[in-house]
Amino acid sequence: MIGFGRREQYRAAAVAAAVLLMCVAAPAGGGPAVPPAADEPDATIGVVYADGRPTEDVALFRVEEGSDELFLSAYHVARIFKATKFWNPGARKLVLRIGIRRYLFTVDTRVVLVDNEPVLLRVPVKYEQGSVMIPLEFISEVLAPSSREDIELDEERLVLTIGSPDYNITHIAFEEGDEGTRAVLTLTEELLYHVDSETPGLLRLKIYGGSLNSLLFTIPQGEGLFNRVRAEQTEHDAYLFFDVKRSAARFRVEFETDGEGRDVVRRLVIFLEKGELPEIPEVDYAGKRMLEILDEDARQRWREPLQRIAIDPGHGGIDNGKVGRSGVKEKDINLEIAMLLQERLLDALSVDIVMTRIEDELVPLERRAEIANAEGADLFISIHCNGWFHPDAGGFETFFLSPARTEDESRLAREENESTRFENPGLSAEEADDLDFILWDMVQNEFITESSELAELIQQELSEVLDIRNRGVKQAGFKVLKGIQMPAVLVEVAFLSNNEEERLLQDTDFQQRIVQGIVEGIRRFQNRYSTARGE
Amino acid sequence: MQRGREEVIRTNLGRKIIIVLIAVVAVALIVYFLVMRPAMKREKAPVGIEEVPEETRSVTLYFAGPEADKLVPETHEIAVEEGLEAQVRAVIAELARGPADRDKVSSIPDGVQILQTFWVEDTQTLYLDFNRALITNHPGGSAGEYYTISTIIRTIGDNFPQVRYVQFLVAGYPIETIAGHYAVDKPLDVLRWR
Repeated sequence: MIGFGRREQYRAAAVAAAVLLMCVAAPAGGGPAVPPAADEPDATIGVVYADGRPTEDVALFRVEEGSDELFLSAYHVARIFKATKFWNPGARKLVLRIGIRRYLFTVDTRVVLVDNEPVLLRVPVKYEQGSVMIPLEFISEVLAPSSREDIELDEERLVLTIGSPDYNITHIAFEEGDEGTRAVLTLTEELLYHVDSETPGLLRLKIYGGSLNSLLFTIPQGEGLFNRVRAEQTEHDAYLFFDVKRSAARFRVEFETDGEGRDVVRRLVIFLEKGELPEIPEVDYAGKRMLEILDEDARQRWREPLQRIAIDPGHGGIDNGKVGRSGVKEKDINLEIAMLLQERLLDALSVDIVMTRIEDELVPLERRAEIANAEGADLFISIHCNGWFHPDAGGFETFFLSPARTEDESRLAREENESTRFENPGLSAEEADDLDFILWDMVQNEFITESSELAELIQQELSEVLDIRNRGVKQAGFKVLKGIQMPAVLVEVAFLSNNEEERLLQDTDFQQRIVQGIVEGIRRFQNRYSTARGE
Repeated sequence: MQRGREEVIRTNLGRKIIIVLIAVVAVALIVYFLVMRPAMKREKAPVGIEEVPEETRSVTLYFAGPEADKLVPETHEIAVEEGLEAQVRAVIAELARGPADRDKVSSIPDGVQILQTFWVEDTQTLYLDFNRALITNHPGGSAGEYYTISTIIRTIGDNFPQVRYVQFLVAGYPIETIAGHYAVDKPLDVLRWR
């Protein structure tokens, strides 16, 4: 309350000051001078954004007598770089918070404090015509090197380019050898991927959490065994589609890491091998890298034909889950679908079924994992209905477990890096830290790659039988999926917060179609792995 | 000869104009100093930044798209509070008030209030203590729960860069989960909840 009173006082003072300025300094030009300076600019700079904001021209001024140094107003700097601004009128100090850094300017001095580290500008920061004026060199000499964003200033053409998206897939190159052709993707971090070669002559590579400039990766004329390459960026993932020549006999996808510490280079290599006879590339598994780390027993166990499947109807007991407008409870729908799924799986795949609950009871999340592990299940399928704050959202999505998201998990990951199991004497602590993400995945869920594949197949099959929106395969840190020692997915079959889907979810035919999609997904998963085993 | 006289006349006229102008300026200055001086004692904030006077700061709040498929930022002006903890409470309260734009959806349940905040600098951990409405009024569903957590974490992460971990509390105690899908019993890593 006190705060508001003071604010109003200042606002009144500001209005008075503005009125007065207009009376006394009348000819300076009418209207409120929002951005600085009523003066004509001495130059303009074109600002090009990569984040979708339209290109704009920003005024530059020469405010220092006898100097060619160009300045722009703090107002513009803040807007361009989405800074939070703080102004201390008594001390004539301005703070801009840009990204993770804090920049402190003092009027009439050359020192800028970058997170309390002093940096010297060629000319002092000025206060002119009611605005703090910042020399252009601040952007190129101070901001660009200290910011995480890609900032490029062309001082001759006066063009400022701000490429905010942090692409983690940065480059593609082809290497031709005697045995075949390699397409080499350069990555800034280790990412999970999935290769699909079901369509003859086409390799579809999905990189989870990948981001790329799709123009850079769309290559109409490939090299060697690659006919052409096409790229697509979705909200969460990147897709690359490789058209391969018929003389490509087989393919292999591998991760390569070179260098040490900060200079480490990560590459994802798609290798196409030449064959004597034209052949269609065979199915290969993205999980190779992971599999090599699994111990023999674990690998063997899930390579056996599927024998037992755990079905987990979400929520139960006092935990209703989402409650629809009509009063229908998620826990009940989940159980209905799970029971139907049990029936169909018994028929279609002749497997054993383990249910984490068959009644309306509360089963703690850890207990569900324990049940499935103790029963030695080969797959874990959790059934849920979704819910949202707004009736517009709808559709189905399939999740598998994502990497560590809590401090505790990160700490465990670091400990794991140091543990003997993954011991690598040549690795510095820093490098070990770089690796914790991927290593934790394997510790947490050795089956993450298989889980992603199972999720893909179930999602694809559901899209064949459901007419609601396909929201795709996603990764998330679902508590129920943690600690499960088998490929595990969670299916959000539809939204109870969506009126139409709430009605559908209570319809037996719709429930049967969901079950059909899940069963077909599991069947395809099983077929792939029995094919793989037969090699 | 004639030209000379004209010049004299013009000069006289010019002089009169100058005298009148000086008088006007003098009056304006007197009025200025007598009437407006008190208002000018404090240096005015720079124009442009004046839109954001020194007592407010702009903060980036995160909401969700109506289809629960993306985070969308919105800039709000809120009062500057003394200290990180008070500022965090103000930001969360503003987030709970919801978006200005109708195309965005708040994923903070109705009636949620922030009771207390604690900042532990050593561990870079911010503790957010909510009232029970966070759980009891939560509509459920994993999309709803995901965006409840991520809009809070993202909003904190963007406005308070010193915060690395966020620990949720309800009525003073850690909770297992908000709606049964995501574990929130331990501090969540701001950088990884994006």
